[in-house]
Amino acid sequence: MLLSLAQSALPIAIGGIEKRFGGVSVLHDLGLDVAAGEFLTLLGPSGSGKTTLLMILAGFVRANAGSIKVGGEEIITMPPHKRNIGMVFQNYALFPHMNVFHNIAFPLKQRRVSATETAERVERALDLVQLKGLGERRVDQLSGGQRQRVALARAIVFEPRIVLMDEPLSALDKSLREHMQIELRNLHRRLGMTTVYVTHDQREAITMSDRIAVMNAGRIEQIDQPEVLYAKPQTKFVAGFIGESNFVPVECRNGSVWYEDRKLRMTTAAPSAGRHLMVVRPEKLRLINGEQSGDVNALPATVGDVIYQGDSFVCYATLRDGRQVTLRDYCRSDVLAKLPGPGEPITLGIDAQDVVLVADQ
Amino acid sequence: MTKRLCIHGLTVAGLLASVAVPASAADTITVASWGGTYQEAQTKAFFDPTAKDLGITIKQDTTNGLDDVRLQVTGNAVKWDITELGADECARGSKEGLFEKLDYSVIDKSGINPKLVHDDWVGISYTSVVLIYRTDVFGDKGPKTWADFWNVEKFPGRRALSGSQATETLSVAALAKGIPIDKVYPVDIDGALQSVDKVKGHIDAWWTSGAQAMQLVKDGEVDMASIWNGRAGTLKKSGAPVSFSFDQGVLTADCMVIPKGSKNKDVAMKALAKFVSPDLQANLPLYVDNGPANEKAFETGKIPPERIKDINSAPENVKKQVLQDPAFWRDTLVEATEKFNNLIQQ
Amino acid sequence: MSIVSASLDHAGRPDRALNADALAADARRESRGLLALLSPGLFLVFAVIIVPIGWLFWLSLFDETGQLSAANYARFFEQASYIKTFVTTFKVAFIVTGACVLFGYPLAYMLSQLPRRAASICLIFVILPFWTSVLVRTYAWLVILQRKGLVNSWLIDLGVIGQPLPLANNFSGVVIGMTHIMLPFLVLPLYASMKTIDVDCLRAGMNLGASPAATFRQIFFPLSLPGLASGVVIVFVLCLGFFVTPALMGGGKVIMWAMRMEQTTSLYSNWGAGAALGVVLLGFTLALLGLFQWLLGARATGVWSQR
Ligand SMILES: Nc1ncnc2c1ncn2[C@@H]1O[C@H](COP(=O)(O)OP(=O)(O)O)[C@@H](O)[C@H]1O
Ligand SMILES: [Mg+2]
Repeated sequence: MLLSLAQSALPIAIGGIEKRFGGVSVLHDLGLDVAAGEFLTLLGPSGSGKTTLLMILAGFVRANAGSIKVGGEEIITMPPHKRNIGMVFQNYALFPHMNVFHNIAFPLKQRRVSATETAERVERALDLVQLKGLGERRVDQLSGGQRQRVALARAIVFEPRIVLMDEPLSALDKSLREHMQIELRNLHRRLGMTTVYVTHDQREAITMSDRIAVMNAGRIEQIDQPEVLYAKPQTKFVAGFIGESNFVPVECRNGSVWYEDRKLRMTTAAPSAGRHLMVVRPEKLRLINGEQSGDVNALPATVGDVIYQGDSFVCYATLRDGRQVTLRDYCRSDVLAKLPGPGEPITLGIDAQDVVLVADQ
Repeated sequence: MTKRLCIHGLTVAGLLASVAVPASAADTITVASWGGTYQEAQTKAFFDPTAKDLGITIKQDTTNGLDDVRLQVTGNAVKWDITELGADECARGSKEGLFEKLDYSVIDKSGINPKLVHDDWVGISYTSVVLIYRTDVFGDKGPKTWADFWNVEKFPGRRALSGSQATETLSVAALAKGIPIDKVYPVDIDGALQSVDKVKGHIDAWWTSGAQAMQLVKDGEVDMASIWNGRAGTLKKSGAPVSFSFDQGVLTADCMVIPKGSKNKDVAMKALAKFVSPDLQANLPLYVDNGPANEKAFETGKIPPERIKDINSAPENVKKQVLQDPAFWRDTLVEATEKFNNLIQQ
Repeated sequence: MSIVSASLDHAGRPDRALNADALAADARRESRGLLALLSPGLFLVFAVIIVPIGWLFWLSLFDETGQLSAANYARFFEQASYIKTFVTTFKVAFIVTGACVLFGYPLAYMLSQLPRRAASICLIFVILPFWTSVLVRTYAWLVILQRKGLVNSWLIDLGVIGQPLPLANNFSGVVIGMTHIMLPFLVLPLYASMKTIDVDCLRAGMNLGASPAATFRQIFFPLSLPGLASGVVIVFVLCLGFFVTPALMGGGKVIMWAMRMEQTTSLYSNWGAGAALGVVLLGFTLALLGLFQWLLGARATGVWSQR
């Protein structure tokens, strides 16, 4: 029965959501489409409105305007208990006066599922989250990770159309968190429910998601698959929030892009005239000899410091305009052989296909 | 050597103490009474003149009754040299041996009803239990006798009796049965209880304090009640539409005692002699409605004749009333009260 | 020399771990210190609770003549009025506690749902009566409830009733007055426990398909039970020993245990008579507390969890 979720997964279409708290606007004309069975993550710094959006989806917070359609049906005014949306809360929100079994059975009881079927489904849900045999435990006798799993089991046992999770792993320690990320991912693969997941941890988002919606100050900056988001950030915020970035100021004139007096080689079309920022990931930079050639752009710089990290090294260099950039590379022997020392002049190379420009706000 | 020094020291201390007692401590005695306007009246009538006459200081305290005396005496912590009590409390306390013997060569007992003169206690004043009714309900045709009070057909209305003073309520219950005032004592307790039983269904409140009795009548919560004459007088003076008389009243006496172990017994005896003297007794009705215990007070000429008729212990009024017998209640109080409590409780 | 002997000592007693004796001595010193800190408190408890209660119990065993006897206890069965008083006391306590729950639960619920500012203002109104004496409040109720009091005059003026309602000087007067006085004792612990209920638990309830009413019934109410229980215990126990309000509002017909203690103490010349009443009340109160404790303890072991 739990495995039937995949067929019943529904798409969500969110549009024009406005939310103000006492005059302060928290969400601005927010729109978002989630495909059926998709694992979509809302990623953004704290205060960007992720929880508010999730609460609006679950029905606990009333939006000032907007529409939420689940499988084509408008639910924006539907009371929470009729929405059939499972939710995993940040602090789990397990019912402290019930044991594990009754916590998980709660949604089934509300739906008047028979006792035998309830027992069966709770058993299966427990199995799914690897808590077999812990049904009689009191909630306060569980570890953090176990509570997390109970909350998860409770949110999916009634086969909701959609599952929402608000930073469900943030209370766990690092290794458990990483373990749970993979488990959640696998569970989603097996059950295929449409999932909206909230986190402020970019690594977590990248690890788990089909797509990531990056939120900033009540707006969605960019929605893409993790690898696209990483490789082709569309705004300075996205580039800065996901992974490490060096920002190099460039200018576009006469249809080409210039870094100081050098014309950049790039594979994408030049943007509008004016000042832009070139987003350079540390691992896309490498040490090259001499001038730019072929499809490689050369950036002359001076070495500040080189830090050896075992498998890799980091080189802090200063461009001619005084801007600091970071280079990271693996410690292959050919690279190690020509590692410069502090104060030495070097040339940093970046491939034309790796050049990404974003607007300089 | 050390021992002798010690003994020597003790002797000196003893000498000092015996010298010190008459010089300072005996100058001061402590008298406890019921507080309120009654004690203020006593202060003006008894305490201040006595202090002046004897050249002593009289400190005052208030008492809750026999319990307080018992606590002090049995706990060997006697703070008071004289205290006021109800006469039945005096009778009981006397039986328990809580008081010092009184010296009637110092105290002149003439003029005091012999029933209130005992080895270790003496009467000081009278309170009457009277029947009060509201004239706005009954006009001047209200219940005049306890039989009227008991007659719920002829005098419909709300009623209150004392629930805390079983002795008084049983006395009026006996009167209600038609027993003449001189035959009430000794009270036929079972007969009186039967009488209470007859009326209890029509009693809307059993009061437990004088203030409560007054409030019940004043606020019109009841239309008739048994009440202490002092409270009744206050109500009438305040303009409340009420009427009462001493007909079939129950006179209850208050007495004074010297608690056993008083450190200033001799001075207290002199002070007590003053309190019960006709001269000071005559002062009391000038300030309060409680009548003097010494009937010679009425011969002093201090009390204006038009005042005398309003005083419960004036000879004319005494004739209309039953005098509560403390000795009777001393022996029957506990049993009678338990039965009474049992009867009136819902 | 000392080094040698020390090492010899170690060698000689291989079963003693390093510094074990010193550490144990340190632990003993610490617990002695703790005990020393506690001793004023323990002494106080002993002096003001254990001793007087022991004395009370001791006194209750002697009759008027100072002989050891059970007369003070036998009286409860010989005189029907004591049983009546006992029944009245528990009846009043039950009804007042029930009325407090009836009025206090919705009040505490409302307070817990209000925004913090508004809640603290309302809470002041709940606590305000604490600042006036019980006597004053009881007289105020008398003024309001008696035959010619505010309520009756209004109702008669409005033509709702023809005859004044008997609200004071009887059982209902006692219940009304006591309920008012006891209400804060129920509301405060209840409110405090409702405030600790996680909003997310209620949200989770609704999210999982429970209607608001079902969420209240299945989640909010059970979670508020510990607070309700402590409020109920406080109110009930306070009711058992209450004096002022029943004495003033009961019209002398509603005699509660504490009033009886006062009557008995002044009626009998031995302290034992009153002391026995005290011992009985204490015994019943402790038994009740034990019962409540047992019920609450049972909750912790899961008997109350839903099946
Ligand atoms: N109930 C509320 N009342 C007022 N402001 C709120 C409320 N809830 C959230 N906010 C504000 O809305 C903004 C977004 O909050 P939230 O959705 O919790 O962000 P996130 O979950 O991304 O950290 C924040 O500035 C926060 O202060
Ligand atoms: Mg949040």
